[in-house]
Amino acid sequence: MVATVAQCVLLPVLGIVIGLFFLGLYRKIMARLHWRYGPPLIQPVIDILRLFFQGGMSHGAVFDFGLVLSLAGAMAIILFIPFAQWCPLQGSGGMLVILYLMLLMPLGTALSGGEAANPNASIGISRKLILALGYEVPLLLILLSVMSYYSTISIVDIVRGQQASVWALFSWPLALPGIAYILILPAVLGVRPFDTTTAPQEISSGPLVEYGGKYLAFEHIIHALSLFLGISLFVNLFLGGAANPIVFFVKILVVFVACVCINAVFPRLRIEQAVSYLWKWPTAIAFLGLVVVSLVK
Amino acid sequence: MNEGLKEKLEKAFPHAAITSMRDTDYVVTADKESVLSLLAYVKDAGFDHLTLISCVDWIDEGEFELVYILSPYMKDNEQISGNEKINLILKTRIARGNPAFQTVTHIFENAEPYERELHELFGVHFEGHKRLIPLFLERAYDIPPFRKDFDTRRYVKEVFDNIPAIQDIKA
Amino acid sequence: MDRNKIGKWLKQPAKMANKYSLNAVYFCTGCGIIEIPPVITARWDAERFGIIPVATPRQGNLFMITGYVSLKTLRAIIRTYEQMPDPKYTVGFGSCPINGGMYWDSYNTIKHLDRYIPVDGWIAGCMPRPEAVFIGVTHLWTLIEKDMANGYLRYREHYDQYRGNQEKLLGKLDWPPLYATGIAQKEIAA
Repeated sequence: MVATVAQCVLLPVLGIVIGLFFLGLYRKIMARLHWRYGPPLIQPVIDILRLFFQGGMSHGAVFDFGLVLSLAGAMAIILFIPFAQWCPLQGSGGMLVILYLMLLMPLGTALSGGEAANPNASIGISRKLILALGYEVPLLLILLSVMSYYSTISIVDIVRGQQASVWALFSWPLALPGIAYILILPAVLGVRPFDTTTAPQEISSGPLVEYGGKYLAFEHIIHALSLFLGISLFVNLFLGGAANPIVFFVKILVVFVACVCINAVFPRLRIEQAVSYLWKWPTAIAFLGLVVVSLVK
Repeated sequence: MNEGLKEKLEKAFPHAAITSMRDTDYVVTADKESVLSLLAYVKDAGFDHLTLISCVDWIDEGEFELVYILSPYMKDNEQISGNEKINLILKTRIARGNPAFQTVTHIFENAEPYERELHELFGVHFEGHKRLIPLFLERAYDIPPFRKDFDTRRYVKEVFDNIPAIQDIKA
Repeated sequence: MDRNKIGKWLKQPAKMANKYSLNAVYFCTGCGIIEIPPVITARWDAERFGIIPVATPRQGNLFMITGYVSLKTLRAIIRTYEQMPDPKYTVGFGSCPINGGMYWDSYNTIKHLDRYIPVDGWIAGCMPRPEAVFIGVTHLWTLIEKDMANGYLRYREHYDQYRGNQEKLLGKLDWPPLYATGIAQKEIAA
């Protein structure tokens, strides 16, 4: 009991720390790939500290509520996704809860950004929801095939099943959904070429256009958490999770660095190009994977 | 430029003087009555792009000189295509006191902002222009600021130097 | 660089964070903006000082005015400046915002930017080289350290005078005053 409570408290903190480390690493790797020296690794922490000391401005009650909803959603999912052997709420709901809670982050941001009544924010929100529509279809097919292959909705059991045999990405029928997941992973994380939502050069960083001060600091934290969550889910489902936290951390680090390298070399897609990509190859492969998995099963 | 067009122009408009400063320029000086028909004529002859309308203030002679610069797109025109890029500069003079002229927006639609600009900066009134409202300037000026009798230094002294520096009250 | 001194961070976290996280709103006026791309890209790399451009005034705390300011631009500059959250720092870049520069006798360009919004520092030159931007930034660090980069406080304190100067030049402004003006403000000061 005590251990569960301690995990409930510590895992979100760990998620925020790792997410901020990822943001710093992101800026450093991007700088080195641009042949620059780059900022110090703790630059996101300095930014967030500065933002907390800067006076922000709220745009109404829904603005605050959406932000809190988004942050709460992100912190809740952490308790359902295992970090190595730690998963405080493993008995309750598993993947289905994660699927529902995953919606809270974009919805909260949409609520909050929409309250600011800035046209750029509206464009950013509509792009975000369209992009979510784009990647949710293959994502649901992938999760369905994984769940039906292991005949369970518990993500802990899926990890256990992989540790008993082989990583799902390298096992025969699940390799197809794994490939599809790799193809949509940049869209789930919102990195380039799928960063149309917060394109600073086009729509002034989209839904975040009216955020300042501590509100923007919370948005940075939510962004860090969403990076951590997206990669954790992928590692748990297809890279076999991990038996101890250090191995798990190394795994999400490797996936993250791969995503940053993709981010560095690709230009930004337009939203309709992104959706037509997401609904073509990843969806086809995921659907094929689902059919093969159900036949093999 | 092909010699054919020059001859045709001289024939159609005997009062217009056609000179040339360099190979790629033709300067047509005309009186203000024939400007509109001249513009329509050269538009049909292939000069279908109005690059610029400008204005020169000849303060000693009491006249404004309107300058229309035209160039061809060199498309679908046998006379023009294949030649190098040429400009046709059409000049005309109007009186400086209470200056007014006909608009050319019905011939070249893109003349609209140029005429608004000249109206704002030189005070030339274009009759028939549908939207002759201010374009750039934030303040009202007694004399339009591009005229030669507008004293910029006196204006700066009167307006900008009159804005006081911020005083520290507490001291 | 004292970025690694933990004692300073613990004593004055706000000041240190403000120093090393200058998010700049580059106001693209005039010719000075052409010097900014080299500053933020690979050759000079402003990001190693924590300086990155942001897209909106609400996210930034460094306001760079890079070149001459015409009357129409001044209107936009004032609005942008008032949207930025405190604390905020303004830097005039190039000789035109300082005293008019080569537009000293122009009919439509303001001569002294610091009569309309408070300016914390100037980078002189026509144009300043990117190195000068970094010298300006290090000077701004010193000013922040000594609590002398207090333009946003001066704006609040002398808002009557600033608003008066703005209205004298631009006519009636079509947005409400940021702070209380007139008698109410004097009562607050008293």
